[in-house]
Amino acid sequence: MTISDQELLKLQMECTVFFENNPYAYETAKGLSKKLGRGVEPLQIVLNRLAAISILEKRGEGNMAIYSYKTPYTQSEVEIH
Amino acid sequence: MQETGLIHDIVHTGVPGLDVLLNGGVPRGTTIILEGNPGTGKTTLGIQFLLEGARQYGESGIYITFEELPEQIYRDMSGFGWDLRELERQNKLRIICLEPDVLLDQMTRTDGLFEQLIREIDCKRVVIDSISLFRTLGVSENDGREQIYSIRNIMRKFDLTAFFLREYGETEGRSTPFENYVCDGIIRLSLREHLEKYRKRTIEILKMRGTHIVEGEHHYRFLKDGICILPALSMVEDKILNDGVDRLSTGIESLDELLLGGLPQGSAFMLDSNSKANYKYLMNSILAERLKRGDCVLFMLSGLSSVETLEQTLELFGSSLKEAALEERVFFIDHYHRKVEPEYEKLVIHVDRLSNEEYQKKVYEAINPHFRETILQGKRWFIHYDLNTIISERGREFVKRNFADEMARCRAAGITVLCQSNFTEIGLETSSFLERASNGVIRTWVDGSYQYLQITKSPGGRMSAPHIVDNIRDRPYVRLI
Repeated sequence: MTISDQELLKLQMECTVFFENNPYAYETAKGLSKKLGRGVEPLQIVLNRLAAISILEKRGEGNMAIYSYKTPYTQSEVEIH
Repeated sequence: MQETGLIHDIVHTGVPGLDVLLNGGVPRGTTIILEGNPGTGKTTLGIQFLLEGARQYGESGIYITFEELPEQIYRDMSGFGWDLRELERQNKLRIICLEPDVLLDQMTRTDGLFEQLIREIDCKRVVIDSISLFRTLGVSENDGREQIYSIRNIMRKFDLTAFFLREYGETEGRSTPFENYVCDGIIRLSLREHLEKYRKRTIEILKMRGTHIVEGEHHYRFLKDGICILPALSMVEDKILNDGVDRLSTGIESLDELLLGGLPQGSAFMLDSNSKANYKYLMNSILAERLKRGDCVLFMLSGLSSVETLEQTLELFGSSLKEAALEERVFFIDHYHRKVEPEYEKLVIHVDRLSNEEYQKKVYEAINPHFRETILQGKRWFIHYDLNTIISERGREFVKRNFADEMARCRAAGITVLCQSNFTEIGLETSSFLERASNGVIRTWVDGSYQYLQITKSPGGRMSAPHIVDNIRDRPYVRLI
């Protein structure tokens, strides 16, 4: 089964929102598939893509690879001299 | 300086009332199963436990959820005014979501995810929601056992105090689950029918290693700031009498425990016993203890107890009445004009054949100068007030008219009074009045083949469960079980 880029992009958004809302979720592709109600295979593609662009952190390889959110650096206050 | 929350290595749960049931809290490093049906508040109680550590004692915590999403927990708990995300930002809390097999795998790895997280926030408290899922992980039930055993050991290794949540329904009726043996404590939350139309929430501590517990079922409620437990048999605390006063030991260790250290100085307590119950050991232990501690004591003698018999009984409890008499620390009110040894003669106030007015005047004139003088010297006074004798000699009306006033005056002077009475014999109306005028009531009665004792009223607001009075060979000859 081939998955279109459009579908992968939608899934990518879904995963990003999930990790953003649950910043301390440590999920495998299988675990996340249960929580999002999506197939494991496309999730694996998307999770690896998100890890490659540093949105997620990946620990381990294969089925037991764990993905977690890399909290972006934000600065809320700036002191101006 | 940051408070550590360590009192003899006890971890406070932060759930109002629960620490009372746990004698202060749970021992550090223990693993406790918190079980209950859906909707009983396991998650709320677990979070409350972590919040207490994070906010009050600088102890970070991790909540591990397998099924519930953290975002749901953030939302639900915000209803209690708890901002969990903010605590996460401060590295005081983590709400972690992962699969049970992943957790197990990572826990057993050297420098695995679990160890990293513990280190990252210096975690001291953990909640796992829920261990029920480990049953479904392995091929056989044995696998589940090994996994839970292994997790418990990891908690101990890191000195983590942990709550393992468990669905109660699934273990109900089955043989005792394995984890009940390996975990240090079991707390059960229940939702039961109450008065037909209502439901009551109850909490019960079924097992707890390393600390005394208050047994039985206790009500709990969801309030706007979390769960609050109402320990059974508790009433409103009398702060004025409970805080910062000396406690006078009764000489019976188990009774002192029920009284949170002993009789508060300056209080008026009632010892109510039915005709079958043997109250003498209790009374004599208390009186002997006062003499041993160098206090002044005013005894009211009954028809059955004379100075002579009192001397013999107190001797049994290792206390010398004669010695106290020579130091002029003891006085006696006698309605029966009995002869005494010369050492006691000037210490006995004979009140036989006196009208009530004459009686009051004589006692007041005889004892008041001693009260004044010794209290100024910093001595403590204790009065043994035999209400049975007063009622039979002076009448019920005399007691009703004067008792509350006498007790108030004693309290004001810091004098502790122990009244002896038989409520059943006195009747409901008078006994209710006496109970109201006293700060505490100790009841002892015989039912079937056992004698029982219960604190039914105390300034601390605590009532006790009924205890069995057991005779022992050595002093003080009784203990409460």
